Amino acid sequence: MKRTFDTGNAAITEGALWAGCRLFAGYPITPATEIAENMSRRLPQEGGFYLQAEDENAALHICNGGSLGGLKAMTATSGPGFILFADPFGWAVSSEIPVVIVNSQRVGPVSGITGAPGQGEFYLSRYLTHGGNYETIVLAPNSVQDAFRLTVRAFYLAERFRTPVIVLADQMVTDGWETLQTPESEAEAREMGLERVERRVNPGPVFYPASSDIDIPPVVLGHNTGAAASDWTPTDRGHDTEDVTWQHKHAWRLIHKILDHRDLIDEAQTWSVDDDPEVILVAYGTPSRVVQSAVEAGRAQGLKVGGIRPVSLWPFQDALFSRKAIYLTVELNWDGQLVREVRRAAAAGSEVHFWGRCGELPSVAELLDTVRQLQAGVALTRDAWRTEKW
Amino acid sequence: MAERVEILISGYGGQGVVRIGQILGQAAVNQGLYTTMLISHGTETRGGYVRSQVVISDGFIASPVVERPDFFLAFSREAHDKFKGLCGAQSVILHNPETFVADAAVPARYLPLPAEALAQDELGSPVYANVILLGALSGQLPLVSEASLLRGLEERLDARFHEANRRAFSLGRNFRI
Amino acid sequence: MSDDLLEKYVRPEKNPGTACKGCGLRLAHRRVLEAIDQLGLGQGDVVWGTGIGCSGRQTFVTWKGDTFAGTHGRVYALATGVRLALPPEKRLILTVGDGDAFTIGLHHLLHAARRNVDMTVVVFDNLGYQSTGGQYGVTTPVGSRTDSSPYGAWEPNWTEGGHDVLRLVREAGATFVARHTVLQGEAAVTSLKRAIENRGFSLVQLVYPCVTHFGVQALGTRDLGRIYDWFRDQTAEGVAAGGDKRFATGVVHDGVGKRPEFTEALRGFVARVQNGEVQHG
Repeated sequence: MKRTFDTGNAAITEGALWAGCRLFAGYPITPATEIAENMSRRLPQEGGFYLQAEDENAALHICNGGSLGGLKAMTATSGPGFILFADPFGWAVSSEIPVVIVNSQRVGPVSGITGAPGQGEFYLSRYLTHGGNYETIVLAPNSVQDAFRLTVRAFYLAERFRTPVIVLADQMVTDGWETLQTPESEAEAREMGLERVERRVNPGPVFYPASSDIDIPPVVLGHNTGAAASDWTPTDRGHDTEDVTWQHKHAWRLIHKILDHRDLIDEAQTWSVDDDPEVILVAYGTPSRVVQSAVEAGRAQGLKVGGIRPVSLWPFQDALFSRKAIYLTVELNWDGQLVREVRRAAAAGSEVHFWGRCGELPSVAELLDTVRQLQAGVALTRDAWRTEKW
Repeated sequence: MAERVEILISGYGGQGVVRIGQILGQAAVNQGLYTTMLISHGTETRGGYVRSQVVISDGFIASPVVERPDFFLAFSREAHDKFKGLCGAQSVILHNPETFVADAAVPARYLPLPAEALAQDELGSPVYANVILLGALSGQLPLVSEASLLRGLEERLDARFHEANRRAFSLGRNFRI
Repeated sequence: MSDDLLEKYVRPEKNPGTACKGCGLRLAHRRVLEAIDQLGLGQGDVVWGTGIGCSGRQTFVTWKGDTFAGTHGRVYALATGVRLALPPEKRLILTVGDGDAFTIGLHHLLHAARRNVDMTVVVFDNLGYQSTGGQYGVTTPVGSRTDSSPYGAWEPNWTEGGHDVLRLVREAGATFVARHTVLQGEAAVTSLKRAIENRGFSLVQLVYPCVTHFGVQALGTRDLGRIYDWFRDQTAEGVAAGGDKRFATGVVHDGVGKRPEFTEALRGFVARVQNGEVQHG
């Protein structure tokens, strides 16, 4: 095992390379630029291609094209580039092309604050393209090591499900420095639980079966299979059609290939949730680490507090919130995003509250003060989406 | 319970705020310890300071936030003013007394060290001030050994300046405050 | 239409395709097949991509071999990725429209030309947005009445008043650039062959008549003979010609072999890194 002190950016790079990524196309953007820089150095060493695209839209299209030609591909960006993926993301979803997308979230909207962490793309990552009729796989790392592991996982799921997979990080995960362990042999990789699937080629003539099966090889050009991949609604052979029956079959597959195999996707971390918690803190990404510390510190002080960290964000794991409790989401935004989904999913009779801020993590002390207020039934200065004035 | 050491480093861009954090983290990793470092930049660079929050522990580190710094390397007056409120009685603030003087309202212990002047006099350039402060920190720091820090120094800094950096480190380490 | 060429290359279920009766698009499509046939290329030698609009709908997944289609204007970026993954000997042909290439996708087109990525872009130019019912575009002759220019199109376009979008494509770095009308059969096929053989970025603009919208709205007729007469009348031989003619035709630029092809250069660079011949900073 190789043990280094490195950034999340480096971890994502090394994870992608271990997973077999051989094409990266991107456009420099704070705070994801270092992923591009690392890729520009490392990919050629591994026989892969690094490209700087004319914009993020082109970057993901180039990745899609590379993947359609048989290369495992990845791009990385932050909010202002992420929004430009709407078009190629939809193309990859519908054409069922495996590709990995990293978003290091910063503060928005628009250019917002470039170098500070945010969590404003919780819903955008679910609905990154228009038109609906699909499910999305989104994974959220909360440390450097986790960024490595989940990048590997993203490639694995992308291949098996034939779909783009989003790694939704934040500035602290990507810019943060931490101990990073990477495998130096296949045996060590297995020991670490890392898995990878090699690219296969769909022989045709049925490229888009009306089933929810996974592990169907993706469409790959260049093998004279009569392969077809497009933005049109496909028949099972990939011909363009305006027929709503074919559209229904296609949409059903895009939704159910994911929903019917959630055992491969769903992942969460919990702290003290089975120990009769009154208040449960909920967070993903870097804030979830403060939640963990807060639960440990709170329990040490005798507070009945628990914590939940969804690791896979989409499809949303409703079952994590089946306990009646007082939930408090901890987010790096002012408008409350995760809280809306927890409100929808929480068991009947639960209360769901929101703690949010941009640019800075909460402190353990702040979270525990809020827990005490909630336990005492004291109204929070901030009620759900209504934020206090500065 | 795992021992946890929180180190806050802050100053202007170019003062080595990130580099000093990297050396600390590298030294901790070399010793098999856990470590995290958050870097704040961008807006904060424009606002006049850069900040590294370094946590070192012999166990898994959940929150990477420096809430109560055990050590605060304050490279500028602005950085000190911004973060002195986090410091408690257990905090040690290393600073250059020519940059700012101790604030009596802060319960922390101040360790003044004229690092720039020392660097200029002994090594011919003020750029070594941050490594001098790192050397001074190493004399106080639990968990991380001097040898690990020296190795970290070599791994994270340009080889052409190793000799000068070792001397700077030693100047700080041996400085009598 | 059915003959040996279609039988050889076109999926029977996609014949005759989506184009309107009398549309010049079928003839344009046929010119590309003629060029492929004359080069002796088979189904497995070509990967065929398409854009959005009349040209995309008519030509998508007609090719018996491997095919793909991009969202509007983005197929040049998509094709850049495809080119990286494909064996170099495979020919990559894109059939797109004037809106796709010269409006919504121009940015991506110019960057593909800048890199000299090995692909042949065939722009089937029907002088505006016809698949949406006939609105003016950047190749619509100034003065034309369309559904969105009921008083006559007055915006500057890319092909008149001293502008020529193909010069832009050439300046961007394309290594073969030509313009013909579909009526100039032999010249068009000669250029298409040169373009397909070029191991670099080629663009051939093939102007063709839309009877349903352009004919009716701009020329006031659906009569194919009269529309073709207008096309012949507006065609000037030679790209420097033009004058009062709408279509200055011929080879705009032949720089075949004069610039390194992008993916070949990238492969070479990667090999040098792997061999330790170049070091990073």
